[in-house]
Amino acid sequence: MRYPHLFAPITLNKLTLRNRVVSTAHAEVYAEPGGLPGDRYIRYYEEKAKGGLGLAICGGSSPVSIDSPQSWWKSVNLATDAIIDPLARLAEAMHRHGAKIMIQATHMGRRSSYYGEHWPHLVSPSGIREPVHRGNAKVIEQHEIRRIIADFAQAARRVKAAGMDGIEISAAHQHLIDQFWSPRTNFRTDEWGGSFENRLRFGVEVLNAVRAEVGPDFCVGLRMCGDEFHEDGLSHDMLKDIAAAMSETGLIDYLSVVGSGADTHNTLANCMPPMALPPEPFVHLAAGIKSVSKVPVMHAQSIRDPVQAERILASGMVDMVGMTRAHIADPHLVIKIRDGKEDQIRQCVGANYCIDRQYHGQDVLCIQNAATSREATMPHDIAKADKLRKVVVVGAGPAGLEAARVARERGHEVVLFEKQPQVGGQIVLAAKAPQREQMAGIVRWLDMETQRLGVDRRLGVAADKAMILAEKPDIVVLATGGIPYTSQVPDWGVEEGVAVSSWDILSGKVEPGKNVLVYDAVSTQAGFGVADFLSSRGSTVEIVTPDVKVGDDTGGTTFPIFYRRLYAQGIIPTPNFWLDKVYAEGDKKIAVLRNEYTEALEERAVDQVVIENGILPNDSLYWDMKELSKNQGQTDVHTLFASQPQPSLSQPLAAGEFLLFRVGDCISMHNIHGAIYDALRLVKDF
Amino acid sequence: MSFSLAHALTGLFWLGALLLLGGLARRASLWQQGHSASVSWLGLLAMPKRYFVDIHHVVAREPAVARAHVAAAGGGVAILLLSALNYGLMLYQGWLDVLLVLMAAVMLLGARMMQARRLQAPPRLSQGRWQVLPARLRLFALGSLLAAGLLFAGPQMGMAGQLIAVAALLMLALGGAELALGIGLGWPMKHAVAGLLHLAFHPRAERFAGKSSDLKPLNLAAGELGVAKVEDFAWNRLLSFDACVQCGKCEAACPAYAAGQPLNPKKLIQDMVAAQSRGTDPAYAGNPHPGREAAVVVKPGEDIVGSVLAAETLWSCTTCRACVENCPMLIEHVDTVVNLRRHVTLSRGEVPGKGSEALANLRNTDTVGGYPLAVRYHWAIDLDLPVLQPGDQTEWLLLAGEGAFDMRYQRALRALVKVLKAAGVKVAVLGAAERDCGDVARRLGDEAGFQRLAKANIATLAQYRFDRIVTPDPHVFHCLANEYPAFGGQFEVWHHSKLLEHLLARRAIPLKADATPLPPLTFHDPCYLGRYNDGFNAPRNVLKGIGIKVVDMQRSGRDARCCGWGGGAAFTDIPGQRRIPDMRMDDIRETGTGRVAVACPNCTAMLEGVVGERADVIELAELVAERLA
Ligand SMILES: Cc1cc2nc3c(=O)[nH]c(=O)nc-3n(C[C@H](O)[C@H](O)[C@H](O)COP(=O)(O)O)c2cc1C
Ligand code: SF4
Ligand code: SF4
Ligand code: SF4
Repeated sequence: MRYPHLFAPITLNKLTLRNRVVSTAHAEVYAEPGGLPGDRYIRYYEEKAKGGLGLAICGGSSPVSIDSPQSWWKSVNLATDAIIDPLARLAEAMHRHGAKIMIQATHMGRRSSYYGEHWPHLVSPSGIREPVHRGNAKVIEQHEIRRIIADFAQAARRVKAAGMDGIEISAAHQHLIDQFWSPRTNFRTDEWGGSFENRLRFGVEVLNAVRAEVGPDFCVGLRMCGDEFHEDGLSHDMLKDIAAAMSETGLIDYLSVVGSGADTHNTLANCMPPMALPPEPFVHLAAGIKSVSKVPVMHAQSIRDPVQAERILASGMVDMVGMTRAHIADPHLVIKIRDGKEDQIRQCVGANYCIDRQYHGQDVLCIQNAATSREATMPHDIAKADKLRKVVVVGAGPAGLEAARVARERGHEVVLFEKQPQVGGQIVLAAKAPQREQMAGIVRWLDMETQRLGVDRRLGVAADKAMILAEKPDIVVLATGGIPYTSQVPDWGVEEGVAVSSWDILSGKVEPGKNVLVYDAVSTQAGFGVADFLSSRGSTVEIVTPDVKVGDDTGGTTFPIFYRRLYAQGIIPTPNFWLDKVYAEGDKKIAVLRNEYTEALEERAVDQVVIENGILPNDSLYWDMKELSKNQGQTDVHTLFASQPQPSLSQPLAAGEFLLFRVGDCISMHNIHGAIYDALRLVKDF
Repeated sequence: MSFSLAHALTGLFWLGALLLLGGLARRASLWQQGHSASVSWLGLLAMPKRYFVDIHHVVAREPAVARAHVAAAGGGVAILLLSALNYGLMLYQGWLDVLLVLMAAVMLLGARMMQARRLQAPPRLSQGRWQVLPARLRLFALGSLLAAGLLFAGPQMGMAGQLIAVAALLMLALGGAELALGIGLGWPMKHAVAGLLHLAFHPRAERFAGKSSDLKPLNLAAGELGVAKVEDFAWNRLLSFDACVQCGKCEAACPAYAAGQPLNPKKLIQDMVAAQSRGTDPAYAGNPHPGREAAVVVKPGEDIVGSVLAAETLWSCTTCRACVENCPMLIEHVDTVVNLRRHVTLSRGEVPGKGSEALANLRNTDTVGGYPLAVRYHWAIDLDLPVLQPGDQTEWLLLAGEGAFDMRYQRALRALVKVLKAAGVKVAVLGAAERDCGDVARRLGDEAGFQRLAKANIATLAQYRFDRIVTPDPHVFHCLANEYPAFGGQFEVWHHSKLLEHLLARRAIPLKADATPLPPLTFHDPCYLGRYNDGFNAPRNVLKGIGIKVVDMQRSGRDARCCGWGGGAAFTDIPGQRRIPDMRMDDIRETGTGRVAVACPNCTAMLEGVVGERADVIELAELVAERLA
């Protein structure tokens, strides 16, 4: 028997889960206006249910009160009876596939933004401002406390009425309940602050009210932190006491434990541990809580693969494993484990594209799985095509690999050309940066899948027009990516060899210099990555950017990791400067910088100037072939954006005729998700 | 002249008869080494039917050989009977001589055909005396023909006649020696006498009334612990070994032999013959147990296993019954294998490989794999299968068996439940109350373990009310249907293939309407469903019922090759040249379908365990579930 612990059912109160795998609560940012789950939302979860998980807890941070805003991040709104019907539809969909469904309910207190919708005055035990969300708040009053406790009960009533399997109350990530717990945020001297009992009072009263509403048999969980990681915050020992007290109340059926507070940029980054952190970095905190808990303990934080999950369960540290991002990356995770197809799991790499979007109030998307949350239009399982064709894909970066994979899944004969001896394109370089190695996981899956499916891969072959035509293709997909866009400013002197591109450094073509200036004009992961790469090899590095901060276009859980390294390694951040010119003087390179706001010029004398300016589309093959193709290389954007088949696909092809399409960076610079989505949405209809 | 020939024939006849009787007495004394058995003398009356019907079923599968045998044996028996009348009783009737000439011609023809076959003898046939037997029979037939012809022609033959008469007598003496001395000296014609007696006193007489494939219980209370020595066999079991004609049909059918494991079922039977005759019979001249010497040294008084028979030979058997199914002499190899194993396991505790671990698991956990019983139905948690509590009632009780612990097979189980639910079948399970059926324990010789499990399961089942049991595991099916009755467990048990067949026939399973033709596949018959229980049609009808064409393998149905799991062979895992499932996969490959349907958790595991390129292995229920509307 494989994975005996993972597939052991567990019963929480009266609720039996078919296995120990949970998708824990996450803010999806998919709700329809008014905070109601619609078709997209339900399909997103139904896919996980089909995929075999035991329990999904939906609606991360769904507010129970009208003064805990939900609209700016399209959260589920538990403060209205209108929620009952959509939740009932969701529950029905989940149950159809044997999965259980709960929802997280909360009041965020100060942990939000006041602007927008009702422009509420946020509440917090002592009115302390929350820095991450710029959450200015007022001191919560007695009757507000009473109202919110009642709101929790009402929300629970709605959840139960909808036929959901349970409700999870959040006291994690510094929401209102743990704002009462935490010495960082509760300085009250009344019955709601001070002593241990007083600080716990609000949470206990919420649970009392909820339990009174739903009765003894309904599953009620509590999510809490295992250590806030702040000198003045809740320590692990304090939280163990709290956990013991909460499990002692007999009001809850499980405890879900996460590591780290969340009210500063740096702690927040721990919550969804990015790839830089080791696997399951905080499971010991959950295990500590389990040692005092009378109810089962759940834990999610970078549990990404089945063997790891089984090991954690087998060791007895926790009773249930959250594999939340793991399910965003592959909703069919559990079935693949069950069916011995572990190798086919698209494993989460911790790139945190999902959560970084969420923090910008954008819908959650996975960097590598473009079907996630697009279940209505994008297939996770790709059906066979009626008509089989010959497809030639050029370029084996993420776009080309995905195009080849999908075309092959459709049943077509697929030839994939790649001029490098290995697949992966720019991701291969991205994975060279320190602590970014797991980016290679994205390639690894596509690499294995294209091999498993039998794509005819011609690696180390730079395809030209003649070679492509010799294949007698019906369809040609160009995914030729780009080249470093260092030619944009001739004065940078890259042509002359005065400056080099970030690719030159990451690929190992150019040795790191002693004293290096990295100029990052785009502020994505790449610029900081190369700076870190150089500094980790002993270079003295200054990173210059015209943006307001270094790594400005990386998300809320990504830049803190960069900054940890930046300060630890003494990389000098110089935002708000343009690089005008580089010239050689003796054995030094002189970089001329211009301040965006004062126009003042500064010079740096360094050994090496490294330019990161994104890419220029590599489209020469396109111009070679465009005229020859039946569709003149044109992708019809109306049908593409409507997820419909390209009209040209339905026209018969005469001998020698072919269709030509492009995907990814060879059109214009996108990110990895963009490249993969380009390929999936186009090729799924081939 | 005619006077003297006739009397010579009479003399020869009685001499032969005496020698034969003497030989029989000697042989019977060997059989008497065995212990008594409850046999019915009425078997003697049933012998002709058993000979002409039951043996014919087996022999008719090879028509040319059957015809030769009918001619030779029929002619021979007729000659003997006619000679008894005409010469033995000294009637000396001319018309009987004519009949004798005719019968001798028939026998001559048969013996000729046999001799011709011997020219290109398939390797499974033993050589030695067997190789020259047809020539001897020809001599006998020719001698009979000439002698009877001469008698009929009368004395006018003169000198030539006399010479012919002398020649005929010589031929009769030489050829007849085979018949007269065979039983006494263990020559080939022993089979005729022993074979007929074997038919009359068959250790499994019930097989003539219908299917009989259950193992018989040991009376443990009476101290029965299987067979250690010749004396531990029943006398009629010893007799049965002597019926063997060394045709090698069993050898050709045996998967272990084909895999180069050290087991040749023909040799196994001959080893038993050698043991009981203490090596006095002519040397064995057939294929050895692969990788072993053919010669055996019999040390009277020693245990069979370890002297005449190597333990590895015993543990190579998958109990697939291919040998039994093919044996024209209706010899029951599996009984002997298991009886010998019982001694090795119960008295010596020497079970090789993972076999002893499996038995220990069964003792400690009531499962083969050593799992907690409570986890057997974990796969069904989300299927809302009712778990029966004592006193509860259901139409169908599903016993999932050991396959329920295997994640791969859980897929098949889920598919089965899905289909049954779609068909509106009311099905429930026992949950943690289900123990292993005891199949593995029993086939590994742990009769005590088996009986404990059987009794425990019977007691458990008695606590619930259900109409029928359904199980996808042919081993569970066989144990409950055929082996539990001996312990008072009477249940109506269906293999799931039968239930699916039944539901499809009644159109109770809602199937997809679209008529897109499904790719053909081949079907692997599980031994314990097929040969053990004649369940050949149900799975094929299921596949037909969902619109899938079955391309049968060369070895299919009754002749299907075992997957290699049965009889605990997957646990004892005796090395050979190849692995049985690999050979089976080759059989599958030959069909060119690339897909094989299976109907047993163990076949599923064995065939999916084949490394490298292999056909897709799909359980019957999974195929039906795929077609659900
Ligand atoms: C996009 C996203 C949004 C999240 N929102 C919430 C939330 O609203 N409430 C919460 O308790 N946890 C939230 N989480 C945290 C997850 O529940 C989980 O603890 C975290 O992702 C770590 O587990 P994982 O490594 O399995 O993904 C969120 C996670 C992600 C990725
Ligand atoms: S975006 Fe990255 S972190 Fe998020 S689920 Fe996908 S792979 Fe995992
Ligand atoms: S039962 Fe099968 S494996 Fe055993 S001897 Fe007979 S044919 Fe061979
Ligand atoms: S045991 Fe039966 S099949 Fe085997 S050689 Fe003897 S007679 Fe033939």
